[in-house]
Amino acid sequence: MTERTLLFRTPPDSVDVVHATLESIWEERGDIDEMDRMMFDTALIELVSNVIQHASSTTTIVCRLDVTADDNALRAVLVDTADPPGIDTGRREMPDEFAESGRGLAFIQALVTVFEYERMEGGNVWTITKDRSPSTS
Amino acid sequence: MTFTTEKIEPDIAIIRGDEKLNMVTAPELRESVRRSISGGNARIVVDLSAITFMDSSGLGALVGCLKSARQAGGDLRIAAPSKQVTMVLQLSNLDRVLAKFDTPYDAYHD
Repeated sequence: MTERTLLFRTPPDSVDVVHATLESIWEERGDIDEMDRMMFDTALIELVSNVIQHASSTTTIVCRLDVTADDNALRAVLVDTADPPGIDTGRREMPDEFAESGRGLAFIQALVTVFEYERMEGGNVWTITKDRSPSTS
Repeated sequence: MTFTTEKIEPDIAIIRGDEKLNMVTAPELRESVRRSISGGNARIVVDLSAITFMDSSGLGALVGCLKSARQAGGDLRIAAPSKQVTMVLQLSNLDRVLAKFDTPYDAYHD
């Protein structure tokens, strides 16, 4: 199993820190299917962007991201210290083609196997899991 | 990232970016397209060949730019999207709306 833990703050950190973490995992795990990787990357970046853009807090938001890759799945757990987001994480329809926003959660749901949100004491816990495609080799 | 603009015909401009088209760089694309349209180049092709990653913010910017270009009597087309960008376009059904070409120079040969 390959694991990475990343701590970041918003503001000022950007999604680039998450891209760098993902790249370091994929460098180590050449066995992971390219499509699985792209789908997981896209879902996780949407999740982190959502927190960076929409989370509210009177203080800087501290985030802890744990990413794991094993033989069966790719998994990320993001814990942030923002206020409860007050969003509906139920099934989202994909907005129409000419919408300029509102696709983030629909993308996450379409790209991963499990997307969960939980409010814990003092923070929000977001989990995404993408089952790996059966190996073709 | 900075987007560059190359005028190839009287009213056609190629706009190129690199690396990521995301919440950080999407406003830069919108600004480049706005400048191109106000400068009289409303037929735009966004060269995506060097864009390695696009998220929903980047996609939203492309949609906004497409609408602006059409309102100005032009269009916005795309060239050479990567696999990840193609996946995002398909997921959002934008692949049905944005005309795609192998190179930016092919985009308005119709």
